[in-house]
Amino acid sequence: MATLFDVVFSGNDTVFGLTEGAIDAAIKEHGEDKAIAFPNTAYSLPCYYAVTGTKVGNLGELKAALGVVKTLMTREKRLNDVFMSGVATALCAEFIEALKYIDGAAPYAEPCYGHLADAIIRELGVPLVTGDIPGVAVIIGAAPTAQEGVDLVKSYQAQGILVTLVGGIIDQCAELGYKTGANVRVIPLGADITAVIHVVSVAVRAALIFGNVAPGDAAALMEYTFKRVPAFVNAFAPLDPVIVACGAGAIALGFPVVTNDVDTLAAVHANVPKSLIGQADVSKFNATSLEARDIKIKITNIDIPVAFASAFEGEIIRRGDMQVEFDGSRVDCFELVMTKDASEIEDHKIEVIGPDIDEMPEGSKQSIAYIVEVAGKSMQSDFEPVFERKFHSYLNCVEGMMHTGQRDMIRIRVSKDTFNAGFRAKHIGEVLYAKVKSEFAAVVDKCQVKIITDAAQCTELRHNLATPMFDKRDERLLTLTDEGVDVYYSCIMCQAFSPSHVCVVTPERLGLCGAVSWLDAKATNELDPEGPCQVITKEKVIDERIGEYEDVNDAVRKFSQGALEDVSLYSIIEKPMTSCGCFECICGIEPLSNGVCIANREYAGMTPIGMTFPELASMTGGGVQTPGFMGHGKHFIASKKFMKAEGGVGRIVWMPKDLKEQVADRLNATAKDLYGIENFCDMIADETIAEDPETLLAYLEEKGHPALTMEPMM
Amino acid sequence: MGDFKVTTFEENEAITNRLLETGAKVGADAWQFRVKNQTPHCKFGEQGVCCRICSMGPCRITPKAPRGICGCDAHGIVGRNFLRFTAGGAATHSDHGREICNTLYHAKPEGPYKVKDPEKLIRIAKEWDVETEGKDIYDLAHEMAVLAMGEYGKVFGYQRWLKRAPKHTQELWEKAEIAPRAIDREVSCAMHMTHMGNSSKPEALVRQSLRSGLSDGWGGSMAGTEFSDVLFGTPKPVDTEANLGVMVAENVNIVVHGHDPSLSEMICEYADDPEMIAYAKEMGAKGITVSGVCCTSNEVAMRRGIPMAGNFLQQENVVLTGACEAIVVDVQCIFPALGPLSKCFHTKFITTSPIAQMPDSEFIRFEAETAAENAKAIVKAACENFKNRKPELVYIPDVKQKATVGYSVEAIVKTLDGVTNSQVDETGTTKPLLECITSGVIRGAVAMVGCNNPKVRSDLYHVELMKKLIANDIVIIASGCSAQAAAKAGLMDKRAKDICGAGLKRVCELADIPPVLHMGSCVDISRMMILASELAKDSGLNISQLPVVGCAPEWMSEKAVSIGNYVVATGIDTYLGVDPYVSGSSEVAGLLTDGVRDWVEAAYTVELDLEKLGDKMIERIEEKRAAIGI
Repeated sequence: MATLFDVVFSGNDTVFGLTEGAIDAAIKEHGEDKAIAFPNTAYSLPCYYAVTGTKVGNLGELKAALGVVKTLMTREKRLNDVFMSGVATALCAEFIEALKYIDGAAPYAEPCYGHLADAIIRELGVPLVTGDIPGVAVIIGAAPTAQEGVDLVKSYQAQGILVTLVGGIIDQCAELGYKTGANVRVIPLGADITAVIHVVSVAVRAALIFGNVAPGDAAALMEYTFKRVPAFVNAFAPLDPVIVACGAGAIALGFPVVTNDVDTLAAVHANVPKSLIGQADVSKFNATSLEARDIKIKITNIDIPVAFASAFEGEIIRRGDMQVEFDGSRVDCFELVMTKDASEIEDHKIEVIGPDIDEMPEGSKQSIAYIVEVAGKSMQSDFEPVFERKFHSYLNCVEGMMHTGQRDMIRIRVSKDTFNAGFRAKHIGEVLYAKVKSEFAAVVDKCQVKIITDAAQCTELRHNLATPMFDKRDERLLTLTDEGVDVYYSCIMCQAFSPSHVCVVTPERLGLCGAVSWLDAKATNELDPEGPCQVITKEKVIDERIGEYEDVNDAVRKFSQGALEDVSLYSIIEKPMTSCGCFECICGIEPLSNGVCIANREYAGMTPIGMTFPELASMTGGGVQTPGFMGHGKHFIASKKFMKAEGGVGRIVWMPKDLKEQVADRLNATAKDLYGIENFCDMIADETIAEDPETLLAYLEEKGHPALTMEPMM
Repeated sequence: MGDFKVTTFEENEAITNRLLETGAKVGADAWQFRVKNQTPHCKFGEQGVCCRICSMGPCRITPKAPRGICGCDAHGIVGRNFLRFTAGGAATHSDHGREICNTLYHAKPEGPYKVKDPEKLIRIAKEWDVETEGKDIYDLAHEMAVLAMGEYGKVFGYQRWLKRAPKHTQELWEKAEIAPRAIDREVSCAMHMTHMGNSSKPEALVRQSLRSGLSDGWGGSMAGTEFSDVLFGTPKPVDTEANLGVMVAENVNIVVHGHDPSLSEMICEYADDPEMIAYAKEMGAKGITVSGVCCTSNEVAMRRGIPMAGNFLQQENVVLTGACEAIVVDVQCIFPALGPLSKCFHTKFITTSPIAQMPDSEFIRFEAETAAENAKAIVKAACENFKNRKPELVYIPDVKQKATVGYSVEAIVKTLDGVTNSQVDETGTTKPLLECITSGVIRGAVAMVGCNNPKVRSDLYHVELMKKLIANDIVIIASGCSAQAAAKAGLMDKRAKDICGAGLKRVCELADIPPVLHMGSCVDISRMMILASELAKDSGLNISQLPVVGCAPEWMSEKAVSIGNYVVATGIDTYLGVDPYVSGSSEVAGLLTDGVRDWVEAAYTVELDLEKLGDKMIERIEEKRAAIGI
């Protein structure tokens, strides 16, 4: 009688045979020196690299790697052998998939994604740590019916879970016209079972990027994924030995497998608590899986007629699908939080002033203003913009609603489907009320929302209420300098993924993820004084120039559990601040020009340093100090404290064009203040000007860039 | 992984040597020296061929003198000795159980003894068809106590608890005529059968050995375990520490030693009393530390997290620290050597039971009715003794390990509930453990039990076997001095998962357990019988088909032989690291290692070599797996 072990071993042998054949055929066709790589990753081939510490660059090396994989395929009757055979199966899958990318081929067509770029993983970092993405589902095969498959996908999506699809389920989604894509967090990977490696690769790279797991330390890798990556697998019947072998790999990494193929499981006595679970009823896959992986879904009950989940945050509403649009660039719109006296507020009162959505012509552009009035004993006016910045995320989480911008430059679209489901203006109020009350419960006792769609009132209030408020806040922000405050804050929100990283958040240096400003940290601390953001005093200066404080060092030492000894706030060379891995930007020294290049996560091209964003990013992360490289938020670029120890923003010699445009106004102002230079951004090169150091230097010389005359950095 | 490290045999030995240096300063004796004096041991005794049952002898069998004066041959003599050995153990465990029943009979709402687990009492009462509805819990307790004590002398029928075994096991017992009747009767019957002029047929003697053992495991010991739980609470996972480093230099150190928790529970109660702590401070100490040795220690560790200072062969070491104000003992496994040894230090050696009275001890007779005053007097005496310490003799080695203990069957099932999935599984069963076993994630389980024995380097066999087994994905349940060996080594620290095979490691992580589960004292091996029965019932297999074996690598006492007999008779193959004085008879040895398999589907294996002992158990477990196709 076959046992589970026999099945895994046979599945592993099958895949190994296929891989060997495929590699041999490829070598025959292309020769051993033919380069192979996955696109947009610094870790090629990611899984093999993580497990063995060896990079594979061409077919000859791939063949050698297969020999190493063979050594994992031991056949003792111990779970270690099963785990390693599972890992070997996964590595074979990676090799087969890598072969598909030979010669820069694009083997995957819409809707499939295949390999996922490093940048996607870095983007996922923040939502994963905040719990906005509470888990990652990997669905393999075809559900008994397309409807059951789509219902399962939808159930995860509605919980904010990132869903990846392999095999028949992709066709089932297409059959029923179900929308997929990274922006709605449903990612079809590919039709073949080997495509599952593309999500495994995400988990594995997360360990390298955020966890500072040393490539080659397979035990640490498995510990990281088991403890910190909340993924699980749903495999539809029929299970074949290859799928079971892949499942063994998943379980080795700590990801439980739930399947409806209960007969196969029973035949080989394969039920394993919390790891391999038979569930005949597909409608219970969701609940079974979440329980198996200990995933708790934060439930906020919001009284609206459509779904509310972080999975919808990236949803795009095209013009044709749009019922109505509120556009702050054309008409008067704004969003505003105001602190009021408790007596002025009736809790949960939602008032709509002006026409409702059903009174607006289809496809029309309208005005909207929503004022969220809050009261609470611990409420501070400094928190108003903190709440306000969250509205973008809240409203985007509504299924069929798109929100961009902030303050009086907002744009909102409501889809026809959502409108037809009964969504009206008051529901915007319901969302804002529910989220503000639940997320800021510690400071908000009462909350009411006014939604104004009357164009005249919007105009009037924008000029007389909102603009003066925004101006006042800007003034306050200008006075918020590192010198002007008594305390900084630590932020260890990322420690779920990056156990030894600590951000020190100051008014002029926001968290490297871009999501936590000093005010955010202050509010977070107020909400939960023992939580991720704690007060750091700054009384004992060690070195003003690089921004080093005894108190800060003490805090960093404590919060990194001793992993980090000391840190400077303003230097990239001396004791630079560490990174978790989810930074918005990375800057690195470009020696020839005596300056630094900055690349943002969205930038896919080459930098003059000779590395892409993923490659630069792989130099740091995981809470490790890497002098010469620093992860940071976009906002930090224009800060007067940016690389202050090395001379400030004058060191910036290169940025992607897009990024430059985003930060130009503020960066120009800073440069003017610091050096008296007008239009500093014009001196900074971008990819349209230079992608190599020599061209860059020539451009800088032509522009008389200040970095050229600064002291040598190294 | 952090700073977790298993404490090695060599480290423990170095500590013992350091303590023996202190002993040398004060002229103390120690077992290490006495072993030398007793070596070599009497060969006739070792082979079991010496008979001194009547006064015609003593007779001893040699090739030239193959029969005793009465004509009994080696097989008869070895068989009789084996049965008497068993009866001694069965009597000892069972009398302990009887004491617990007696304590239960004296339980009162106002204490000192109370019913701490009324649910368990009701559960047992229902099992015994005793009406519980509307009954005061103490009335029920007293009724159950009388019924339980009745089991010792019941006129007709078999032990009540046999019904807990799977049907198949019960049938085997009936067929083999080894289902135990009254507990005392099986001991008496054993003594009767071995009297001059009675049985000399090995088969009959071995059969009664099994029956007498079963009267212990499924009778007296089970009463001891079950009613201790009723009185003192059913153990659940609790964190504690183990090894001599648990003693605290600046505190009054009271060490409890023996087996019966009735005394130690009261000592712990009063050591926690603010009045007593204040008194200790008055005497110049910072507080009171109670720690334990032997199975009394296991009892209070399982229920209260009281630290374990050591196991059987460390009992002299606690005195040698020079920091032990009182070693308070109840019954069993207490070295008479503690008397003279305590005189070399300031230590008070306090005996409390009429069962275990020794020279050079202070006897404070401990009775259920006066337990509170007795315990208080003992704690007080210890406090007063603090000032008599000789600081120059004080040396508490800085060695201890963390341990999570308290895995009663109830706690194991509750832990297993934690890994079930409410969408597909039922709770309250052993099925999650069975799934781990049938799928091969865990290969099987070994019950590691028993004593220390100077014939084996103390703790080495326990710890090395466990390390080997857990590295092979075999989960360990442990009790008695074996459990303490594991705890001292660090194997009951949850971090010990890191030295397990991948399968057991994953199970430890998911269930949040250490790889070696502490199931209690030696009496609590009855818990293991219940667990095996539950596994059999939940799987539909016979106990003997489960990939489970028992092992007593360092056993020494009569109790251990009684235990071995009931474990084998329950269908669990049992591995011994010390020969049970039967090598003088091929017939008796043949029955024990093979013949009894026909009756109870399990037998003994004696293997003195450490490596081979481990290999044989793993081999047997794999054989059992193959036999049922998993």
